[in-house]
Amino acid sequence: MSNKKTMVTSLVVIAAVISALLAGTVFAAPDARALLKESENRHRSKTQQYSGNLAVVNREGKVRKKGWKSYRQGYAGDAKTLTRFTDPPEVKEVGFLSISRPAGQNDDQWLYLPSMKRERRIAAQDRDASFVGTDFNYEDMEEFDHEKYRVTLQGEQTVDGQPCYVIAAFPLEGAGRSVYEKKILYLRKDILYLLRMDLYRKGDKQPSKIFTLSDLQHLEGHWVAKKWEMSDLRKGSRTTVVLDRISYDKPQPVGRFTLQNLNREGGD
Amino acid sequence: MILFVSLFSSPAVAGEFSGYAEAKGFVYPERARGQSPSVDGWGTLFNKWEEKLGEARLTASLRGEWLSTDDQGVRLLDPADRHFRRPPFSVQDFWLRLPLSPEIDLQMGRFQLGWGKTDGYSPADAFLPRDLTDPYADEKLPLWALRLSGQKGDVRYEAVGCPVTTPWRLPVLGSRNAPINGEIPRGVSLREMDSSPPVLGFGAIRLLATFGQWDVGGWVRAGIRPAPILEFRTDQAVETSGGIEIPVERRYAEEEGIGIELSRVVGAWVIRGEVAGLFSRNDHLGNAAIGSLSAEKAFGDGTLLMTLAGNAIDPPVDEILLFDRAILPALITAWTRTEEWGEWKTVWSVGLKHGDGLVKAELSYNITDVWKLTMGGEAPYGSGAGGFGALDAARRLRMAIRRSW
Repeated sequence: MSNKKTMVTSLVVIAAVISALLAGTVFAAPDARALLKESENRHRSKTQQYSGNLAVVNREGKVRKKGWKSYRQGYAGDAKTLTRFTDPPEVKEVGFLSISRPAGQNDDQWLYLPSMKRERRIAAQDRDASFVGTDFNYEDMEEFDHEKYRVTLQGEQTVDGQPCYVIAAFPLEGAGRSVYEKKILYLRKDILYLLRMDLYRKGDKQPSKIFTLSDLQHLEGHWVAKKWEMSDLRKGSRTTVVLDRISYDKPQPVGRFTLQNLNREGGD
Repeated sequence: MILFVSLFSSPAVAGEFSGYAEAKGFVYPERARGQSPSVDGWGTLFNKWEEKLGEARLTASLRGEWLSTDDQGVRLLDPADRHFRRPPFSVQDFWLRLPLSPEIDLQMGRFQLGWGKTDGYSPADAFLPRDLTDPYADEKLPLWALRLSGQKGDVRYEAVGCPVTTPWRLPVLGSRNAPINGEIPRGVSLREMDSSPPVLGFGAIRLLATFGQWDVGGWVRAGIRPAPILEFRTDQAVETSGGIEIPVERRYAEEEGIGIELSRVVGAWVIRGEVAGLFSRNDHLGNAAIGSLSAEKAFGDGTLLMTLAGNAIDPPVDEILLFDRAILPALITAWTRTEEWGEWKTVWSVGLKHGDGLVKAELSYNITDVWKLTMGGEAPYGSGAGGFGALDAARRLRMAIRRSW
């Protein structure tokens, strides 16, 4: 009995030592790629859908409001996203479809304009154009896929009172055209959730835009930031998005993320 | 108008309700033939109702208009848009879309089609009926039609049957907006005959596919060409106290067409091209081989678009009478830009055969999310033998205010 107990204790100790060693390889000297992979694994969901209320505040403080609904299937590298504006009337029914492409290629993107009754393809060089009058551009509408970047851990910093890993991400040569030269990501240490991203345009020493995520909630087993804000430091404007009616892993209809559906007048 | 706006802007019924009220004013520096007024007005009230019925969708919209010009018809409502004047009330949408499967839709009723790849001029869109009451608005008329559309993998398909012809609507012949204005001698007036267009419309099939950066497509269609051929019945001319009056008939020809569309993202540009062969046994229409090529590039929040379009076959009759082909060959350059306060656009179109052209500029200011002020102007110039130059007396400045809901 005593021998058996001693053996169990020894196994527990060995297992603990091995676990500590393994954990140490990841967290004592964390690697940016490993952190981003872990973050992606933790926050991956099969699908997500939400409606958003968006406010664009310009330099003079003038506010423009828009409403949209968004559907996603897949995550990061294999994501398909459909976004449809619901108001104001000037942009109602404008639709946007983005389909992730493998590393080396830009996402395929199309915009549906109800006035033309047909879609328009977004060229890679259009990725810096404003997305329907907001401070987001078309590239900002893509999910961050770390495989398209060279990443390095730059240290730690506190954001909104939360300790964060600071990771610099540089677009890889041949990974498709990026509007940005560098992105600085702030990952919350405890849950590896993105709280902030500084976006540097080519040749800039200072970030030209800052994307912040706040009002984190745990819904349906997933962490989600219910409030996003994109500040354009050059223009002095900012776009705030508040997410509503968020749900995860809801089966999406077959054909939702197709050009056929994008062109459906009045459709989701 | 304000009462209407407040009544309709409140969601009193189920479903989504949207629309707008708009007041437009036009100022013309030139008076055509000493008769046309220097100032015109135009008021529009548009309301749209959309309802989801399970997986199906029902949409209906009605447009009410008041025009200060002779272009307003006397019929209160013209549901099929078959009369030759713009009615005070018209049905713009009245359609039901039924999903036959998750990827196949059947749409029936009255709706608009947009087919062409090239903006500015598209041979695929050219057969769709236009309303030229405002010759610069490039307004497409909706059709009563049945449409089956779907997608299988990367291939999209569409079949359209239009059982009733919706004819092109032309401006009052002899007015400043009619392209033949400069051709009418003094002392001669034209009497438009409201001949009935044919009942049957057209049928068309289209296939589209996406392969990486390439989009390819093809279409065929057959049936009635909705742009009328004008026939001046000088044999039936009568002398009146005001001079000689010549009846003008409208005739509609059958036409078959086949077209190919290609587009590709090439670096910073989106290149689109279309070619179409159009065949008609009607001597006054004849055949056409129309090609268009466009290049589009974004600059920040702006887009530059250039389209070159031409017809390899000279029309057999007076080009001005073939309204949709009159401008060919043409180069159309458009520059649009979205600003924080609104948007602006400039368009320069040049008829390459006669050297005539059209310069358009427009500036829209978003007063709020729902109020919009637009100012603009159109200045056609050049030879009166060309489609643009023939509108010389219609150069104008305009202002519009719109409230949307």
